[in-house]
Parts: sequence; C-alpha cells; structure tokens
Amino acid sequence: MDATLLLQQILNGLAIGSVFALFALGYTLVFSILRVINFSHAAVFTLGAYFTYALTGGAFGFNGLLANAQLPFGLPFPVALVLGNILAGLTAMGIERLAFKPLRARGADPLLALVSSLGVAVVIVNLIQYLVGAELYTFPAETYGALPPAVNFGTAEHPVQVRTTQLIMFVVSLVVLIALTLFINRTKIGTALRAVAEDETTARLLGIDTDKLILLTFFLSGFLGGIAGTLVGASVSISGPYFGIAFGLKGLAVIILGGLGSIPGAVVGGLAIGLAESFVPGQYVAYKEAVAFAFLFIALLIRPQGLLGRAVIRKV
Amino acid sequence: MADFLSTYGSLIVSMILAAMLGLSLYLPLMSGQLSLAGAGFYALGGYIAAILSTKVFTTYSGDLYPVSYVLIEMIVAGIAAGALAVIVGILALRLRGVYLALATIAFVEILRVLSLNIDITGGAIGIFGVPQPFGTPIEYLWIALPMLLLSMLFVYRLERVRTGRALIAIREDELAAESIGINPTYHKVLAFMLSAILAGCVGALSAHVLNTWNARQGTFDAAIGHLAFVLVGGSRTFAGPVVGGLALTLLPEALRQLAGINGLPPWLAQFLREGRLILYGLLIVLGAINFPQGLITPAMFKHHRAAKDPTT
Amino acid sequence: MTDAPILSASPILSASSVTHAFGGLIAVDGVSISVQRGEIFGLIGPNGAGKTTLFNIMTGLIAPNRGKLFFEGRETTRLPPYRIAERGIGRTFQNIRLFGELSVLENVMTGRHTRTHSNVLSGVLGLPAARAEERATRQQAMQLIDRIGLTDRAHVRAGSLPYGDQRRLEIVRALALEPRLLLLDEPAAGMNTREKQALSDFIRQVRNQYHLTIVIIEHHMPLVMGLCDRIAVMNFGQLIAIGVPAAVQRNPAVIEAYLGSRKFVDR
Repeated sequence: MDATLLLQQILNGLAIGSVFALFALGYTLVFSILRVINFSHAAVFTLGAYFTYALTGGAFGFNGLLANAQLPFGLPFPVALVLGNILAGLTAMGIERLAFKPLRARGADPLLALVSSLGVAVVIVNLIQYLVGAELYTFPAETYGALPPAVNFGTAEHPVQVRTTQLIMFVVSLVVLIALTLFINRTKIGTALRAVAEDETTARLLGIDTDKLILLTFFLSGFLGGIAGTLVGASVSISGPYFGIAFGLKGLAVIILGGLGSIPGAVVGGLAIGLAESFVPGQYVAYKEAVAFAFLFIALLIRPQGLLGRAVIRKV
Repeated sequence: MADFLSTYGSLIVSMILAAMLGLSLYLPLMSGQLSLAGAGFYALGGYIAAILSTKVFTTYSGDLYPVSYVLIEMIVAGIAAGALAVIVGILALRLRGVYLALATIAFVEILRVLSLNIDITGGAIGIFGVPQPFGTPIEYLWIALPMLLLSMLFVYRLERVRTGRALIAIREDELAAESIGINPTYHKVLAFMLSAILAGCVGALSAHVLNTWNARQGTFDAAIGHLAFVLVGGSRTFAGPVVGGLALTLLPEALRQLAGINGLPPWLAQFLREGRLILYGLLIVLGAINFPQGLITPAMFKHHRAAKDPTT
Repeated sequence: MTDAPILSASPILSASSVTHAFGGLIAVDGVSISVQRGEIFGLIGPNGAGKTTLFNIMTGLIAPNRGKLFFEGRETTRLPPYRIAERGIGRTFQNIRLFGELSVLENVMTGRHTRTHSNVLSGVLGLPAARAEERATRQQAMQLIDRIGLTDRAHVRAGSLPYGDQRRLEIVRALALEPRLLLLDEPAAGMNTREKQALSDFIRQVRNQYHLTIVIIEHHMPLVMGLCDRIAVMNFGQLIAIGVPAAVQRNPAVIEAYLGSRKFVDR
C-alpha cells in the first residue's frame, strides 16, 4: 500500500477520531456519575456549533422565525469558541435540572431518563429548525485568520496534505482532553467527581455536594460536546439542525466500544472508530456511516462492557 | 358525512396505521424490552411492497391495483420481517435495558444506510409511483381497520393466556420468571418477532397509502414518534399505544385547524403549524417524568375484569 | 414431632466439590453435599457464608468455576435456570421476588408454566385444548391459593399483600411448578415467633402432602432445630459440619463459627 495514502488516512482518522473522543467524553462524564445515557448530548453538540457560528457574526438564512438574524458584532473564532460553548454548557445544566433531576429524585429507572433526554433532543433540534431553518451554514472564510488552508506533512514528491481545519480539530481536542484529564486527576473537584462516580452515597456521606457536582458534570459535558460540534461545523459545515444526531449515534458507538464510564475508553474508542471510518475503501464510502453502527452492534453482542470497561456482576 | 370522510380520509387512515405501530412497540414492552427496531421493520415492509408492486406485480387488469396483491405483499413483508427479527433478536435480546435500546437503534441505522445505497431500493430518492388499490384514501379502511381490530384482539387474547403471562412475568422480574421455568430468550424473541411482523405489515400497506417510499420512513425520528405513542398513551395496557397513536397523529391536524382560527396571534399560528415536533418532544419529556405509565392506565380497566371473573 | 422422611439409596440432589469465586472473593469453596429424597435439609451459617450463592449455583443462576451438581441422577451443572425449573427444582428468594403488579392468582398461574404447553397461537386462537388447559391452570392455582387462605384476595395486586402473605404466596407459586425439590431461602425472615412456628408447620405439611424434598436456608435456630432432619453448616464458603441437628449443635467448629473464638484453630 502506498505509504503516503496510508499516512493520509491515518491522519484523517486521528483528526476525526479525536473529535469523536471529545464528543464521547460528554456521554462518559454523565454516565459515570448518573449511570444514564444522555441523549440530549447530540443536541447540545449541535447548539454549540450554532452558538459559536452566531457569535462569529454569522448570518442566518431565509427560513425560520429568526430569518436573516445576525449579531451586530463578530468575535474572533477562539473567543467565540469558548463563549459559545460556555452557553452550550449552561444549556446542558438547564437540561439536567428540567429533564434529569425530577427522575433522579424519584429513583426512577435509568431508561426513563434516557427517554426523557430523547425528548429534550427532539425539542432542541426542532426548536433550532423552527428558529433558524434547516439550511446549511459554513463558517466565514476568515475564521482561521491567516493560517494556510492545508499543511503538508510529507515531501514535495509525496505530499501528505492535512487540512488546517483538521489540524485544528486535532490540536484543540488534544488540548481539551489533556486539560480534562489533569482536571479530573489533579484537582480537588476532579477527585470529588471521581468519588461520586465510584459511589454516590458514600460521597454524599463524606459531605460532598453531589448536586452541585452533577451540575458541573453536565456543564463540562455540554462544553466539551459543544466544542466538538463547533469543530466539526467549522471543519466541514453545519449541515442543518440534524447534523448532530448522526454524530450523536456514533458517539454512542464510541462509548460502548470504549466502555461505558471509562474516560480512556472514550479516547481509545473515538480514535478507533475515526480510523476505521477513514480506512473504508473508496468504493464503499457511502457505507461509511454504517461503520460506527456495525461496531456498536458487534460490541454490544460480544463485549457490552467495551474494551476498557469492567464487566458488571449481577447481584441476586 | 360523506364529505367529512373524503376530506379526512387519509388522516383517519394515518391514525389507524399509527395506532398499529404503537401496538407493535407494545409487544416487546410486554416483556420489558424497549426496542426501537420497529421503525426498521416498518421500512422493510414498505420497501418490499413498493418493490413488489412497481417491479414484480406489474401486470393486472383495470386501473386499480388488486387488493389481493396487497395482501400478498403484506404476507411477504410479515414473513421477511419476522425472519429478520428472529435473527436479530437471538443476537441482541440477551442485552437488557439501555444496551438493548442502543442495539436496536444501531440496527435501524444500519438498515437505513443500506437502504440509501442499494439500487433496488432506489437509493436516496426511493421508490415512486406505488400503485393504488383504492380510488379514495378512505377506502384503505377496508384493510386497515380490520387489521387494527385483529391486532388489538390478538394482544388482548395474548395477555390472558400462558404465553402472555410469561411475557409479563419476564417484565416484572426476569430472574423470578426464569426460576419458575420460563425461557426468557425464547419469549423475548417471540415478542420481538410478533412486533416486527405487525410493523412490517403496516409498512407494506403504508407504501401504498403514501404512494412512495424512501429511507426517511425508517429513521430514528420515526422510532421516536412511535415511542411517543406509547409514552403518552400508556405502556401498561394495549389500549394505551393505540390511543397514543390515534391521538398523536390527530394532534398536528387539530393544531393546524386551531391555527386557522381567526384572531390567533401569527406566531402562535405558525408554531402550531410547524412546531409539531417540538410538541412531541415536550410530550415525551413530560410523559417520562410525570406519567411513565402513560395516560391510559390498567387501573381504569381493573374493576371490570374482577367483576367478570367467575371464581369471585 | 416429625414424620419419618422417606429415605432412598440415591440422593435427590448432590453437589460435588462445588467452588465459585467472584473476582478475588471465594464465595463457595469445595462444597460437597448430598440431600436425601423426602428430607427437610437445613443450610445454616453466618451471614456471607455462601449459602445463597450455593442456592444460586444449584438453580443455575451461576455456573460454578469448579465442581458438579446432580439432580435425580442427572447432571445440572451448566443448565440455565429455566431448564432446572423444568427438571423439577423450585425456589424462593431471600428478598421476595413476586410479580408485584400481577394479581395473586396470576402469580400462581405463571408458576404452572412448565406444566402446561399451549403455545402462543393455540392460546390466542382459543383452541379447545388451550382453553381446557387454561381452565385447569386457573383451578389448580386457586387450590393452592385456598391452601394459604388468600381465596378472597385472589385478584389483589401481589405487591400490596402483607409481608407474611407474600412469603407464603412465593412458596405456593413455586409449588405450582410441581417440583420434587424445593429450595427456600430464609422464608421466615422478618416474621415473629408465632408466624415462624406457623410457617414451620406449613413447610412440614407441604413436604408431606406433596412428597417433596426441601432445602432451607435459615437463621433462626429453634426453627431449624425443630424442622430439619439434617443440617449442613457453612462458613467462609466452606462446609464445616453436616449431620442431624443435635450433633451439629454440639460440633465445636460450628460453635466457634457462630460465637467466635480467640484461639487459632488449625484445620
């Protein structure tokens, strides 16, 4: 096999894989604390992209209640990225209060929380469509400022082009992942989070304010998911309010593959699926979408606890 | 009356089809399985009918497509869906709760991607010009209504015999059910298969009703819609999903009518017209939080049953 | 006063060197037991001794890491729970596992599952054989319900019954199976002395009437001593004594297991 093609595919895979990982971490954080799958995560992913787009001064199109709306200012991309996704994180906190907390207070079956979050996703996605229509939006060309459109990792004769957007996806994801890991492992709050994930009752007995921590977790998951959405949206385009949903389902494949509740698992799973998609041969590219789901299905059948998860022992 | 029927014919037919799709979600729910795979079998059934009627059964006399052919398509769709369900079920039904729901979602998505890319299904465009067995939409009731009544009767009877009790026992406590000799996998696959057969048959009929079929019929969104029927209508008795399907299909039309009322502020009118899915989502959230058993609860029917029992 | 148990040459249930560990914890350690047909066999030991785990292994919920199980001469070691129930072993659970939303009658009727055969089609269509079977199921279930005095509450939600009634309902649901061996996991838990005595009599009557063998996990010593023909004592997953109640009661290892001892005892 051609070495440059191989390298190209690997780099492509890593770029998208790192975004998968970032997105999947949002699921992982919530699952490790609450043992529920938050289906609204994909919607927050989408919101992050839309918020950031609006903050960079992007204009909205012809349809929807806010047709032709546009903020009177445009922030530089890095600033918009952070601000827009803080908004996404806050939204996630709101979702926790409205759709998860009432169920948690009753000790309801996690499946109900899943369904409730599904409803939230439907509301958000359709609200977006209602407000700004279903058109495609691309970030303005000046988003990345003076950076060149692509970087050549190879040589002149054997070029290995990586688009700048992909590079940015990878770098930003990496930075965020490292920051998150440091936060979880080296700070007091991070330790408290791990304690709650391990055993909520004991953590509460030790005086940890689990309620606030849960809010923080949701904020983080929204922030991360929104960043992932922004990166994907900036790199390709925001193809409409549903662009997060397919991503969302793939994100589930990532966490099942990597192991529910495992942070390293989310990273490994994300990179694995990113690489797998990248290596789909040319003529089957239409089936690329199904790769993640096939992985998901097979992972569920063979090893539901994922690559890095622990097997759950049922107590009678 | 005739006027009403002709205007609202397709609405009534859609309501009845939706009720059956709700019922098909109810069957695996009887054994405690949340399966979102019904949308996939519905799509499969539709494709089978669309392909058969546009490419295979192309010779017939008269303008209208023979009803007997439609019935044959439904039988083929039912068998195909049932067979696929058994295969998928045996693989996936060892999973529980969240894992099972995810596996069924993955299944539906894989089917969708396949259908987008295979020639025979018409790719992304789908299949057009599915022939009509009836002159007017309301006449579909000749098939749809008996179908609904028969499936309701089926589920009603099922709940009162050995197999149904086994399913419910599994839902209540799978471990205890197994310890009194009930084979959980067999029964879960059975419920799954029955649900798939129903969804497949409804899909086959729907292809004719809608005159066209494409990959958008079997999406995650569709599955969410069916879930809403059960959540709103009720998950503990078979009447629940039926009512849910009828009501939630009627709702957007009712809202559209409401929107036409004079004096309504335009934003509200537009919301009622276009924000239907937002309402669905809200209903799902409210339903999950406040009425996990849905609006139609078994308690409404209990006192009737006890009175009829000869041993009291 | 107990009726003499019907002894036969071969045991109805035998476990041979059964061992099972959860991760690093050995729950059952090389346990070998033979239960004779017709006897009421007690399984006692401190909390965490591995008694319920042994039950779970006997009923197929867990496949042991090592060892074998035989019921009526046929191996059952790796059979799934529903097949073991089909073979004729019924059980109750430490934390009552009734079908809470179903009625008392429906709970017992589900117990008849393995003794009936109508499939989904014949049932739904209401074919004569299926109808007859349904009537018979209902009748047999009502008989069992009458036996525990719940006739007038047959249509009540099982989950709403008082505790003692739920316990007996669970036993009677297992009886609907027509088992030849009944495993009872702490059936008297949470009962007062009078209720325990009534339960003890009930268990003995059931054994006699249905020609059953019964293995019972229990903590309450007077109940065990008065009811059981033989007892096995477990501690830390191991069998430390087996025999008639009087002998086991005097066994030093047993006394130590229950009362503790400062002396280190060599095995």
